[in-house]
Amino acid sequence: MSKTTRILTVDDSASMRALLNHALSTNGFDVAQADDGVSALEWLAVNEVDVVITDINMPRLDGFGLIEQVRGGTRHRDRPILVLTTESSDEKKARARAAGATGWIVKPFDTDKLVAAVRRVAH
Amino acid sequence: MSPEEIQQIFFVECEESLAAAEAGLAACRAGTHDSDTVNAVFRAVHSIKGGAGAFGYSALQAYTHTFETLLSDVREGLVAIEEQLVDLLLRALDTLADHVEAAREGGDAPADAALIAEMEGAMAGNAAAAPAAAAEPEPAPQPEAASSDDDDEPKPIDDLDLAALLDDLTGGFDAPAPAAASTNAPAGQDKRWKVHLRPRAGAMRNGSEPLLMLRDIAALGGESVFCDVSQVPPLDSFEVAQGYLGWTFAMPADVAEDAVRDIFDFIGDDCALAIGNDEEIPEFRAEQTAPAPKAEPIAVAPAAPAAPAAPVAAAPVAVAPAPAPAKAPPAAAPAAEAKPDSAEKPAAAAPAPPSAGQSIRIDLFKLDRLIDLVGELVIAQAMLVQRLDGAGITATEELGLLESLTRDIQESAMSIRAQPIASVFSRVPRILRDLAASTGKHVKLETIGETTELDKTVIERLGEPLTHLIRNAVDHGIESADVRIAAGKPPEGTLTLSAEHRSGRILITIADDGAGINRERVLAKAVEKGIVSPDAQLSAEEIDNLIFAPGFSTAQVVSNISGRGVGMDVVRQNVKDLGGRITIESVPGQGTAFILTLPLTLAISDGMIVDVGDQTLVVPLAHVVESLRPGEGDFHGLGSNAQMLNVRGRFIPIISLKTALGAPTGATNPQEGVLIVVDTESAGQAALLVDDICDQRQFVIKSLATNFRAVEGVAGATILGDGKVALIVDVDGLVACALPAQERQAA
Repeated sequence: MSKTTRILTVDDSASMRALLNHALSTNGFDVAQADDGVSALEWLAVNEVDVVITDINMPRLDGFGLIEQVRGGTRHRDRPILVLTTESSDEKKARARAAGATGWIVKPFDTDKLVAAVRRVAH
Repeated sequence: MSPEEIQQIFFVECEESLAAAEAGLAACRAGTHDSDTVNAVFRAVHSIKGGAGAFGYSALQAYTHTFETLLSDVREGLVAIEEQLVDLLLRALDTLADHVEAAREGGDAPADAALIAEMEGAMAGNAAAAPAAAAEPEPAPQPEAASSDDDDEPKPIDDLDLAALLDDLTGGFDAPAPAAASTNAPAGQDKRWKVHLRPRAGAMRNGSEPLLMLRDIAALGGESVFCDVSQVPPLDSFEVAQGYLGWTFAMPADVAEDAVRDIFDFIGDDCALAIGNDEEIPEFRAEQTAPAPKAEPIAVAPAAPAAPAAPVAAAPVAVAPAPAPAKAPPAAAPAAEAKPDSAEKPAAAAPAPPSAGQSIRIDLFKLDRLIDLVGELVIAQAMLVQRLDGAGITATEELGLLESLTRDIQESAMSIRAQPIASVFSRVPRILRDLAASTGKHVKLETIGETTELDKTVIERLGEPLTHLIRNAVDHGIESADVRIAAGKPPEGTLTLSAEHRSGRILITIADDGAGINRERVLAKAVEKGIVSPDAQLSAEEIDNLIFAPGFSTAQVVSNISGRGVGMDVVRQNVKDLGGRITIESVPGQGTAFILTLPLTLAISDGMIVDVGDQTLVVPLAHVVESLRPGEGDFHGLGSNAQMLNVRGRFIPIISLKTALGAPTGATNPQEGVLIVVDTESAGQAALLVDDICDQRQFVIKSLATNFRAVEGVAGATILGDGKVALIVDVDGLVACALPAQERQAA
């Protein structure tokens, strides 16, 4: 990769953000954080991003709402978005896909799998 | 950030989540059942579960999983919110708090089997299924609906398509794969195996990029052996998003099939995949690319033969109407809920914003250092003013600016440490529940002013005395239900907690509507314990204050909650350590109120700078009621030495600071000096006689004990503007030890 992959992590849990940040930044990614869908959109309004990783259940604007807004916009429409999900059922995955997610990461995540998932979708 | 630090964040978060859940459930109990409230509780438990999984607290994770599942049913409207359920949820929350504590302290997880069984019993699929089903006209497949999904509502047909297709994908290829392997191995001609793929139109959607997948295959050692370009149309009918191309890759034998499947895991049915040497590239099909991305008509057909898939996939269709009406109220609720929500429970609403707003976490140590430095800055600024004053430079504009900036910085620094008292109040419901279980007294809680902010340290150290006062109020204050009914009161007692700012201090009131202090019994007990002499004439206030005396206990039966007689004096000491005071207001038959007056912060206080002889002393402003220069007629002698001051008809003892502190010089005649009327805890009011009041200013308390030793009557020391050290008067201690001395002299 010619430049550092920049990732926006969106989660209302500070510890989850810290875990993601720790796992990703130690693997050479540039990590930004937002604590819910609304602040993620605020951040996206002024920043460029390579991959978005978002939790689903958040106050103000949840993960699906965030995806919908991103996909409905123009600037970041084609950005890969990974959702963090606690359930790995096919049905949940299909739903995430149907909602516009590029892929998913099952919580609690394994750092290697997380990194692999990000690398897989990063353009 | 180290993993330990992240773990710390998790536990802080757990506390926040527990508080949020507590507030939400309290609102539920009060009758607020809107989706926001329920969702907030769900989210709180969900968040603890997520972290528990991430940090490997399996007991906590297992427990939260059950709790979350029940809450999910509640959120879906599958389980009705009834009082019994809220009680169960509250108990579950208490145990959750114990679980978190156990995880943090590394202790044993609490016994939760019974509670888990109870929660499982309450879930939609079980005991409560009957009422849920009764409420819903929909018949049999209800439980499926519970496990089906929540937030948004995909059209039933899509669920069918996706589930069926998925099944088709996995079920369809699981069988041939081993077969291909078995034919491959013995034949041994070509150890490589083939994967055929054709990205569908959807493969370009949702930020997916098929090119990356091809690269991933190549990275595994895959070699593109064939590319189907036959479907590429003439340029004028070419659509960018269509999957015109198909590929066959030959994979090395040592690459696992799963490794390839993993690459296509995310994209699912948006890329048709066929694995095996006998397979071919899946057929091209023209798809509508622009809108209606979800409608994939072809998918319905293959769904039918996949026998086991059909009923499962069909289930969502059948039950889809069920969750829909169940979710309709939450969707419609926001408008209706807005009013009760904001009107009824500002507290439950208030804790939410901090997590929503932009915030950073700072090590408390760094913050304390900042506060310390600000304290020093205040002193330095005062020294500068004094020095310039000495040099004849006064009232300069720059100095005024510096002063106001210093004050602003100080206030900002203080506000960083300030937290709403709600974090303390939110723990009270649990205390009351525990008390209700052990005493049988059910007490209603009312809280006022939860958003009042005070220093974090004060908040932390407030928990213990507050808990004790609350236990005391329920145990001793509030009568049992039958006694209350006999007295014409509602059977359920009420405990009111309130917090408010008043002239730079915080007033916290813990009031019950119980029997009030039984002064006869208190006095009798105090005499019996030898705390007061039998012939002492005490005012009602003084009798009330006896309950703070060390070793005092009036409980007929010593319970395990309060009544060991070690409590109230410790409570007073705790409050005093915080620079606060505690007073009692009790009306027989109507109740008792404990009023805590606390400083906003511990670091900086306001004080009156006074002169006694050649000494400069600081009297903390918290104690000062007023200061006056009385006329001759205001004094009344008491014995040979002591004198009383008449303040608007009330007589209060005069204490000369010179005498009390043994200063060589200073005023002893009240008419020569100034009298400062102070409030004390144990001895009511007293008037301190000083030579003069020089100034009123903020001071930073430096402990005397750490540098020298604790001195009776001295609370500490501070540095004055001129760099001199001045002692801070411990008003309570000084008055308490000076008065008996005077009495002895008078006798």
